[in-house]
Amino acid sequence: MVSVNSMQSPFWLGGLLVMSICGSSLPAVAQSTSTIIPNTATAEFNSPGKPPKSISSNTVKIPVQGGTAALEIIKIGDRASIEPGDAISYRLQIRNTGTATITDLSIKDTLPLGFKFLAKSPVGAIANAAGTPVTNPSPITATVSGSVVTFKYPELQPQQSLIIAYAALTSPDAVRGTGRNSAIAFGLSPSGPVNSNIASHRVLVQAGIVSDCGTLIGRVFEDRNFDGEQQPGEPGIPNAVVILEDGNRIMTDADGLYSLPFVLAGYHTGTLDLTSLPGYTIAPNLYRIDKNSTSRSVRLEPSGMARMNFAVTPTYREGVR
Amino acid sequence: MKTPKCIYQFSTIQILLLLGLSQSAISQPIPFYKTTVTSNADEIKADNGLTLRESIALINGELKLENLSSAERSQVTPASQASTIGFNLPSGQTQIALKSELPSITIPGTTIDGTTQPGYDATKSATQEINIAIPVVELIPAANVDVLRGLTIVSDRVTIRGLSIHGFSAAHKSTAMTPPADIFISHATPPPSIEKQKMPANFAPYYPDDIPPKNTIIENNWLGLSPIGKTDRPSAFGVSVFHGENTTIRRNRIEFHDGSAIITSVAVTNTDVSENIIVNNGLAGMPDAIRLEGNVDRSRIHGNLMCGNDGAGVYLFKPEGTVKISDNQIRYNGRRLRRAAIYLTGSGHEVTDNQISHQSGSGVVVGAYPQSDRNIITNNRFDALEGMSIDLNTQENTYAQAWQTGDGPNPKRKGSYRHLETGNAAIDSPEFTTDEFTNASVITGTAEPNSQIALYKVQSNPEDDRGPLSQPIGQATANGDGKFTTQLTGLVKGDRISATATDLTKGTSEPAINAAIGTWNDVKISRNPTAIPACTTPPNPPATVPPPILPVKLKAPTRIHFALDQDFISPVSATILNRIATVLNQYPGVSIELEGHTDPRANNDYNQALGMRRATNARNYLLRQGISASRMTLRSLGETKRIAKGDSKIDYARDRRVEIIYRDSDGFELTVEESDLQLE
Repeated sequence: MVSVNSMQSPFWLGGLLVMSICGSSLPAVAQSTSTIIPNTATAEFNSPGKPPKSISSNTVKIPVQGGTAALEIIKIGDRASIEPGDAISYRLQIRNTGTATITDLSIKDTLPLGFKFLAKSPVGAIANAAGTPVTNPSPITATVSGSVVTFKYPELQPQQSLIIAYAALTSPDAVRGTGRNSAIAFGLSPSGPVNSNIASHRVLVQAGIVSDCGTLIGRVFEDRNFDGEQQPGEPGIPNAVVILEDGNRIMTDADGLYSLPFVLAGYHTGTLDLTSLPGYTIAPNLYRIDKNSTSRSVRLEPSGMARMNFAVTPTYREGVR
Repeated sequence: MKTPKCIYQFSTIQILLLLGLSQSAISQPIPFYKTTVTSNADEIKADNGLTLRESIALINGELKLENLSSAERSQVTPASQASTIGFNLPSGQTQIALKSELPSITIPGTTIDGTTQPGYDATKSATQEINIAIPVVELIPAANVDVLRGLTIVSDRVTIRGLSIHGFSAAHKSTAMTPPADIFISHATPPPSIEKQKMPANFAPYYPDDIPPKNTIIENNWLGLSPIGKTDRPSAFGVSVFHGENTTIRRNRIEFHDGSAIITSVAVTNTDVSENIIVNNGLAGMPDAIRLEGNVDRSRIHGNLMCGNDGAGVYLFKPEGTVKISDNQIRYNGRRLRRAAIYLTGSGHEVTDNQISHQSGSGVVVGAYPQSDRNIITNNRFDALEGMSIDLNTQENTYAQAWQTGDGPNPKRKGSYRHLETGNAAIDSPEFTTDEFTNASVITGTAEPNSQIALYKVQSNPEDDRGPLSQPIGQATANGDGKFTTQLTGLVKGDRISATATDLTKGTSEPAINAAIGTWNDVKISRNPTAIPACTTPPNPPATVPPPILPVKLKAPTRIHFALDQDFISPVSATILNRIATVLNQYPGVSIELEGHTDPRANNDYNQALGMRRATNARNYLLRQGISASRMTLRSLGETKRIAKGDSKIDYARDRRVEIIYRDSDGFELTVEESDLQLE
């Protein structure tokens, strides 16, 4: 019902977009069924130091089936991409397109992973059919439960629009989420409950200065008490090779240590290449059965650190399987 | 009235407790015995003969005297100071086959003396190099049984003398079986037992009450080989001084081990290794003849013969403390892995008066990391090395090769930081004023100020421009400006000289660039006559040494073949190897190189390793035929040198081979055998 064909606007390009979607000018819907409705949208822009400007769209003729109460919801965000730490502002427009009053209107807005609703941010307004603001509207309440924000408004007259704007802050977890936010409105009408469509807005979350990679560290050392841990007096083995499941080949330094930054989060397997350290084999370990393997499996969290240690001991009967 | 009664009762209990405690404290000390082993069985049973297992159990106090039969008791006499186990085994029954590990020797002062066996002749030796009497009593694992250790020593002042101990090893199971050894020295409850260490300590490998045994003596034993000088089952390690102080290992023959002949691990200070024959070790495991790790402070390695081992002669891997290595003969080592004859890490070590030759790597390498300095390397003789006589790793070179054979000549030191990142604090090698001295009466040069200059005569290896340091011929001292002048005697035109600088605060330098007496045109490019590559020589060698004149045509096979992705020697290949062994036995001056090859399938690294396994197995087969390891060098060329061009099954079968390259073999007619081709 609202078309925003303002992409050519210099304000958009200037990055100073302050956009308000006013109520679209719609003729009153007749009670009769199957009416053709000519529909025109107007977008109005404010930019600093300039008078408000509005643009009307072309007129679209839509056949409308006459009904009782109906809800329609639109959601937009103020940006298409975001980095952790940025705020995004969302704008919801809920309109009663029916002919009956809707009571107990509630709007459920589900934020994507890593988006945090800013409790002080929401503002709201009511416009009547002509697009003029309604004075002294009832207060809108917002409640947050997890990632779901619920707005409540007592009564929406036919052809009235409820406009809610609010902001959300992104945390580093957002990079793991979809960035898609969805909203739905529902209320009660004399003829029964009424639901709106689902409106969604997707924002591309870019890693920015935070990364979702982790760091693998570890050591290869000579285990003298066969406990799998390096104590003083248990020297590190230089130039030992650890191979990861993706083919990455890591070599230990002169102290037998290694670290591998920028490893994608998830499960990783590394194995000690015994041909790189002639004369050694994996040290037996009677404390922990998993340490007897030449492989280690670790779970690496984003920005986390995981360790793969290998204890070795001088050997004999090399290469005999 | 009640209170005194209470006190009375309490004191009764106290007295009872005291009585009980004192009884256990004054409990009969384990008596000392002198026993004579008269049976080679391996069981604890009241029968006619006393076994070694019974003797050890009796001395440990685990077996009571009254549980022995009267015949056995007659072999036991009480002793006053310490227990002794002697032998009087019937002739022909001197082999004791163990069905399981013997009990650890837990009583201080115990001696197991194989020289008491009748027939032991202390004057007869099987080797000319170092006289070590041939043992009679033989300790082996029973057939088809894996026994991890021969003798385990966990108490002070234990002596093991005059035994042949070999074959102790075990197949790896789901976890590696370790640490094994012919003779194992450790605190009580050695690993893999964890009954003492319920939870691992986080501050040190072992707790302070894991006390290492002290003053162990291992002497006149043959480890890894039978009294006839062979073994069918290679032992894992020779003497593993896992945790033991003041250990003396002298006059042993240690041969044919899969791992090192002598390996140390935790607190092993003041270990003395002298006059041992250490030959053909490191066959399939830790390749170094003597590997020193842990706290080895004040240890000494002197007068040993190390020959034909697969890695270094002496490798000091990140030890604590200082070691003296002197008067050893280290030759023909690095058979399987190119390593330095002596690799040093750590500070304050002394390497003096050794003879180091025919090494497939450098002579002495000082590592760049961990910081290693003040290592004094003087008065040694080097010859026929595949590297430098003395190589100080520089610029924190810690790549794999630097840890094996060194990193080559160092650039001259620039700036003070180089002190920290180079072995022996980056002491610069001396420089002669000229590379052609007209005569030897005035030799001049520059070196580190106030350092001691050792001058050496250079022989053989004409292509080396630094060393080899063949023979020490003079000394000089650099003045405060670093200039030195000296006079040498016994040099003629055409001789070459080199030098090292030693500064007690830094260590010994790499060799100087050689200079010639006379002009370089006078230098005769000639190699030393090839020495017979043998490690040991039997006494009274047959008077008729085979003349070095070879028949015009002697057929010697040059190739054996392998099955697809396999490294075992097939029966047909074995017959070819037998013929090669015959040729080598006939001509002791001939040495061979075994090159492993593969077909071109599978990746390069895999094939490189497969080729090495093939060469190693062929070598180990020849070793079992009595060919000295010092005559065989191993190389793997992987898939880089195919013999066939095609990709048919027969082509691949011909590629899968070990080539035998004969050295000094003029007059051999080399034949290519393909009777052992194995198609996939």
